Amino acid sequence: MTAQTPPVGDQVAAPAIELAHAARWYGNVVAVNDVSFSLGAGVTGLLGPNGAGKTTLLHMLAGFLAPSAGIVHVLGRSPNRDPSVYRQIGLVPERESVYAFLTGYEYVRLNARLQGMRNADSAARAAIARVGLEDAADRAIGTYSKGMRQRAKVAGALVHDPQVLLLDEPFNGMDPRQRLAMMDLLVEMAGAGRTILFSSHILEEVERIGTEILVLVAGRLAASGDFRAIRALMTDRPHTITIRSSDDRRLATTLMADPAVFAVELKDNAVSVQTAHLSAFRRIIAGASRTAGVRLTEVVPADESLESVFDYLVRR
Amino acid sequence: MTGSSRTGSLAAFPDIVWLTFRQQLGRRRTVLLVLLAALPPLLALIYRAFGQVDVRSFTDNVFDLVSLTIVLPLATVLFGSGAFGAENDEGTIVYLLAKPISRWVIVSAKAFSAVSLSLVLTVASVLVAGVIELLPAGADGASATEAYVAAMVVGSLCYSILFLALSLFTRRALVIGIGYSLVWEGALSSLLPGIANLSVRQYALGAADGFFQLHEQAARLSPTTALTLSAILIVVAFGLATWRLMRFEMSGSTD
Repeated sequence: MTAQTPPVGDQVAAPAIELAHAARWYGNVVAVNDVSFSLGAGVTGLLGPNGAGKTTLLHMLAGFLAPSAGIVHVLGRSPNRDPSVYRQIGLVPERESVYAFLTGYEYVRLNARLQGMRNADSAARAAIARVGLEDAADRAIGTYSKGMRQRAKVAGALVHDPQVLLLDEPFNGMDPRQRLAMMDLLVEMAGAGRTILFSSHILEEVERIGTEILVLVAGRLAASGDFRAIRALMTDRPHTITIRSSDDRRLATTLMADPAVFAVELKDNAVSVQTAHLSAFRRIIAGASRTAGVRLTEVVPADESLESVFDYLVRR
Repeated sequence: MTGSSRTGSLAAFPDIVWLTFRQQLGRRRTVLLVLLAALPPLLALIYRAFGQVDVRSFTDNVFDLVSLTIVLPLATVLFGSGAFGAENDEGTIVYLLAKPISRWVIVSAKAFSAVSLSLVLTVASVLVAGVIELLPAGADGASATEAYVAAMVVGSLCYSILFLALSLFTRRALVIGIGYSLVWEGALSSLLPGIANLSVRQYALGAADGFFQLHEQAARLSPTTALTLSAILIVVAFGLATWRLMRFEMSGSTD
């Protein structure tokens, strides 16, 4: 992924998705502002608070919104007003509505036929199997649970094996087991060279599927790349590390003497340490344990979750 | 799963027609329309029961007042505006548009669905009523039936495509369509004769006039003029609908 703000992560030779200074506004409201990035094969999570511009960005990529300024390219061309691009794009919109009067099979098969596939029947059966909806395939979608409708939508979007898959909150309404299965499916597709961009407000999902993220805040790209690398760049925000040892109090006393350590706290039968430099601290903790004569049983960065990264970027 | 074996954009036409039929026929309003369309045959049975075979009276009171003024506009506004309206309201239109299908193919399939449903309903209604009441009246009755079948064909084509196009520009196509029929074609046309040039009802009556001499006030356009204006309306409405669909944008979201 490449991006202008801030550039982190791997370079991809031929990006499937490319935005250059893309902007979209509605009257005086700026929904997306000067966003630039490119994506190759893999799974990328699109993060941002409500109103950040995630759906607008996905609609621009899907060709349903023309950029007010800048360039939006999918597979090397503008998706706006070019229906032929949909041979290579699969879209799962956020809105729940699906043709309630069709069965799951009829819906997925319809998608295959509208894609012009001659083998629509077998492709529909295969797509339904991929999302684990075989048992309900011959029931009307109107009788489906929210999670089942989501899976039917995903099956309809991937039935033609698109090169680029755009998903707006795809895990909404799915139970944990369905989510894991869907995540595995997206990772498998990414492994097969597909470019997958999905938005989600559940940060665990993004963290679980892949490490690449785009963070939109107030229409601007606040960060992009590997979220752990982004976290490492946040030198103005201390890292928190939880340590368990054979003598926590003694270890805490030793660590307090080190200038790289901002704060030390004893809580929940562990030592919580704040430091500015994670890599330096890894060396410090080894020396401190030897000095204090204690045995380390656990050293865990406590705030490396995507949520902490996201919170930090949004509040910055 | 492979997309290597593909057909062209036109191959989607029957699938969109099938989808639209399923959409339209599953709605409660379609049942109400069928009941409404049964009214002319029912009135024909009542005429027969009373032994009246008066071609002029039946065409004026049933074909003109019920079939042309009520059944035709209602059927076409519901099927025409509903072809895209339901997709727009429910947000399912995105599943059609996110496909490699030319927009004119989508409009053609939707228009075909709306027109054929309107045609079946309105023509069958007039035809059955005519067979019951007018055919026993001989050649005059047969001409009157043919005339109003022609009116239903022209009216179904023009109204359906007009209301279909309208539904792509406004979510209030149903209200505007009914308003157009009642106010523009009903109240205003009696005050301003020039409105005939912009009235689908007059196009339909003009076509009917080619088969059966309507009374003096009914048809204000000659059959040729009516058919020419109908063709222009259909082409313009179809073009506008396609143009609009090509510029379709998802409703404004700031998220």
